[in-house]
Amino acid sequence: MAFLDNSGDIILDAVLTDSGRRRLARGDGSFKIAKFALGDTEINYRLYNPNHASGSAYFDLQILQSPVLEAFTDPRSDMHHKLMSISRNDFLHLPILEIFENSGASSERDTTTNSFLVAVDSETEEAIGDFKGLIYGETTDSASSSKIIIDQGTDTNGSPGPTVDLSPSLRETQYQVEIDNRFGSIYNAAGTRLQSPSFVSEAQVATYYFSLRGNRMVQKITEVGAADSSINGPRGSRLMMKIGASLRLNGSTGLFTRLGGTSTVNSISVYHIDSTVRVTGVTTGYSIDIPVRFIKKV
Amino acid sequence: MSTTFKSLRGDDATTTRTLLHESIPITGSILSGTYGGDTVALGSEPHIKTYSHGMFESVFDYPYLSSSANHIFDITAGYASTSALSGASNTQNTKKINIYNQMAQVLMGFDETGSVRIFDEDGDISGGGTKLKECYFVNFSRLLTKDEIKKGTFEMELMTTDGFSEATGVGSLERIKITDFSGSDGYFVNSPAGEYGVLFATASNGATVLAANQYYKVGLLFYQAGVAVISGSVFSDSDDGGILHTGKGTVTFSPAGASVTGFNTITSSTNNVMADNLRNRLYNIQFNNTTELNSTIYFCRVNNNEFNYSANPTYLSTSADGPSAIVVKDGDAVRDPHSYITTVGLYSADNELLAVAKVSEPLKKDPSNELTLRVRLDY
Repeated sequence: MAFLDNSGDIILDAVLTDSGRRRLARGDGSFKIAKFALGDTEINYRLYNPNHASGSAYFDLQILQSPVLEAFTDPRSDMHHKLMSISRNDFLHLPILEIFENSGASSERDTTTNSFLVAVDSETEEAIGDFKGLIYGETTDSASSSKIIIDQGTDTNGSPGPTVDLSPSLRETQYQVEIDNRFGSIYNAAGTRLQSPSFVSEAQVATYYFSLRGNRMVQKITEVGAADSSINGPRGSRLMMKIGASLRLNGSTGLFTRLGGTSTVNSISVYHIDSTVRVTGVTTGYSIDIPVRFIKKV
Repeated sequence: MSTTFKSLRGDDATTTRTLLHESIPITGSILSGTYGGDTVALGSEPHIKTYSHGMFESVFDYPYLSSSANHIFDITAGYASTSALSGASNTQNTKKINIYNQMAQVLMGFDETGSVRIFDEDGDISGGGTKLKECYFVNFSRLLTKDEIKKGTFEMELMTTDGFSEATGVGSLERIKITDFSGSDGYFVNSPAGEYGVLFATASNGATVLAANQYYKVGLLFYQAGVAVISGSVFSDSDDGGILHTGKGTVTFSPAGASVTGFNTITSSTNNVMADNLRNRLYNIQFNNTTELNSTIYFCRVNNNEFNYSANPTYLSTSADGPSAIVVKDGDAVRDPHSYITTVGLYSADNELLAVAKVSEPLKKDPSNELTLRVRLDY
């Protein structure tokens, strides 16, 4: 009887991320690993072929051959997509996050850049005026300012439709919002800054958490009309927010000239920096990157 | 309730200690020859750094003005104030005594009267015996020794006929080999600088090199400190109190025609010249170093009903079933969901990613299997 092959090493070597190293260097006990998550960033599930002629053993052959990259030390570059634990195995749909664009709710993107525009000072706000997709980054409570609305739910193309309740186990109750801390911070839909970031990473990415039971930035979607949400199926919760500009962008063009360029908005010449705001459902792990352009009148 | 994190319990982590060894070979031609050869005077080579204080000489593995150069060791020499070689008219007499005393007080410590202990040939301090009063000191860089020199692996070969020369090479030169062969099971712990072993010399190339066919005690090797203390006796014949065969005579160091030979040259030579003399006679040095890795292993236990779904955008199709339809279910609610693991993320309590581990190939996870991923974090 032959020996079993025991050449495989089942210990995985971990590398510290920038945040991990910083916490370790701080020496204040903040480096404490409390939980783990699993990721599958390299996997393209659309390679799954349930119709393979050779049978089920070959359905995921291409997926299993996917090469795996070494670990990144930038915490924002790894674990883009997490695996989820759901006790039920019979779900055919999973919830997603979508930008809800609605002119009535002033939540549309600029059609030229396909992004939300954030005017970083009042001079830019006044010069451009009431413009689709323009968020007022200084006068955040202005009624003319746009806002960002993210809807969560299972988009089933209407079968089942929005009148069907989303399974409680799939309903998002908390959102993680990441934004470049050099550029701006997160405000509620009324234009009030309700909280500071939970932490700011080495790469200057600020992370906020907003909960359903917290400060009303997250609400359950109760409307079932087709125009009431971007989700055409059972609906979960909604995150509404604005972006306030940082003092650095408000008072200086330094970052614009270093990281951005110039363009025209509503016939006004502006400096711009393109960035993204990432919204992740803490419960379901699904994330969406929202394109944001910070602008300042030349 | 769905979730993407799983908390680690107290018994999901354990600590381990691993010793990692590297082989460090230092070829003699790097020490004298490669960067100078016969055209550059000994001591003027670009990989040798000397100092205005003249207390020691630093050896690099590459011209030291280059950012690619690594400091590999320092060489110095000295003698005790009670040595027969000590004399007020000697070149750098005070510095040589100071060097000896400094090394002795760091490596051997002080006796009960507060006096510096002299290096003992066999490590048996209380038993008296022969003392090493005239020594070379080779202080290896931390870059090479890491946490310590692995016991029983140290070898140093010295040429006893002539120094290295590009023109003549070293093929036929007589050599002795100095080792700590007993270090793996016979070392001393009575030093304030950690553990040390006795260095023994034996002939390695040529006939009747040594006075007798035996192992001679010729120095001490301090494992954690990374310092080799080499007795001056390795360069003298038995008539002059050394270990070399009388017929071979005591080694003649530079400058040629010097009135004194062997280690006794120290009386009329600077420390830099003494360092050059040793460096020019080094045929080879090699040892294994040791790095102590302290690790925490986290047991990431993935149960059968956990992590079977994914938030990967490709997990959902863009088919007629809507953008939320799960690809791997293919419209069949009975079919089990499954996912593929490529990354393990370790998080703080406030969900900040602190460490990442990768698997070498995707691991399939479905409700019919369970996994325990052992993730090791080294410190």
